Amino acid sequence: MPGLILFAYGIILFSVQTSLMDKLAISGVMPDLALIATVFCAITLSAGRGFAAGCVIGLAQDCLSGGLLGVNTLSKSLIAHTFCQLKGKILVEGVVPLFVFLLIASIFDSLVFYGSTLLLFQNPPSLESFLSSMPIYVVYNAIVGPFLILFFNRNFQWWSRKLQSS
Amino acid sequence: MWKRRLKGRKNTVILILIFLVGFTLMTADSKRSDGAYFFETFFLWVVSPIQSVFTSTLDSIEEVYDHYFLLVDASKENVQLKNQLNTLAREKHLLQEEVRRLTRIGRLNEYQTLKSGKSVVATVVGKDATQWVKTVFIDKGTDDGVHENLAVITDAGVVGHVIQAGLNSSKVLLLADRRSAVDTLFRKSRVPGVVVGLGTDTCEMKYVPVTAEVKAGDWVLSSGLGGVFPKGLVVGRVLSVIQSKQGLFQEIQIAPGADFSRLEEVLVLLP
Repeated sequence: MPGLILFAYGIILFSVQTSLMDKLAISGVMPDLALIATVFCAITLSAGRGFAAGCVIGLAQDCLSGGLLGVNTLSKSLIAHTFCQLKGKILVEGVVPLFVFLLIASIFDSLVFYGSTLLLFQNPPSLESFLSSMPIYVVYNAIVGPFLILFFNRNFQWWSRKLQSS
Repeated sequence: MWKRRLKGRKNTVILILIFLVGFTLMTADSKRSDGAYFFETFFLWVVSPIQSVFTSTLDSIEEVYDHYFLLVDASKENVQLKNQLNTLAREKHLLQEEVRRLTRIGRLNEYQTLKSGKSVVATVVGKDATQWVKTVFIDKGTDDGVHENLAVITDAGVVGHVIQAGLNSSKVLLLADRRSAVDTLFRKSRVPGVVVGLGTDTCEMKYVPVTAEVKAGDWVLSSGLGGVFPKGLVVGRVLSVIQSKQGLFQEIQIAPGADFSRLEEVLVLLP
């Protein structure tokens, strides 16, 4: 049952990402809900489940994108694994730590994209165009992310209570 | 013994696995010629109906926001009249929206008749799930005869081409994407070149010799070479031309004919 709920949330998440997010774009840059969901799963679920969620979210994002298959699987899996390891050692709750984590995760995610396209594409994006959109992407995710994670957390706790009582 | 050793190096094993899977997928993807993996088709199949619902709901909300609320503010004095007016206005705007949609489809059909080839009208139901790539999803797939490497256009010009076709939805790589390249020529001078995407709103036309006469406003058409886009489709117009003294080719900025930020219905040209 929890798996089904997460699956349904995943479908809604990607439907929102691919249909609504461009309306919220700033200079053509939109927040990455998949990245935010990965960080949420990594710090909320158990280590194994968090990591698995990161892999599936990354793969789904790859499938719903015209980019190179595997880039998001790689970056989201690594982000999920890192946060699964970190959550037992440092404070991961509250808006400020989440802001910092999402900032780091967004920088890492964009660097993985740039690095892999640089290695594997014949016509990779110029460093100039990449650097012009990356800061907006990073800051946008870091600002929107903590509030979305708090919202996801409330939903998650509500479902947990509901499932426990039934 | 080996189990204990493996447990001690769990993190290293996981990291190696992540890199192995990631790079295997990337390598397989960069080597593949056409066709989609089953999981890609599966995700497209699962998400596309919800995408369509979200897109149409969003359009309706925008419609109501743009027209309905403005009218509510404009007629505060008479509640009864206001309600009637709003209901009628909402219906009117819904009908107008329908008329606009049918007009757009009509224009595409006219275009289709002019081109006298087989084609299918598709609705854009979603955009790329990442920040870095310029693709859109359309609601037609292999069930409607759509497959990879088919040209996608509007009456305003070339949109891109199908890079992956699912059963009832497909991915279209836009002309603006960095991996997109279309063989073109100038309508007037017939000088050839290749229009490539820059990942932004504009494109670049490459390999136009410095000796060619090009000026802002010149129309650029598809040349028909390359096998994806038929000859004579509008690709865009020249925005600016820079002629460097040392280079062999001119630097030409192109404004695509189709407006990628406002794509609603498109035409997929069938073979």
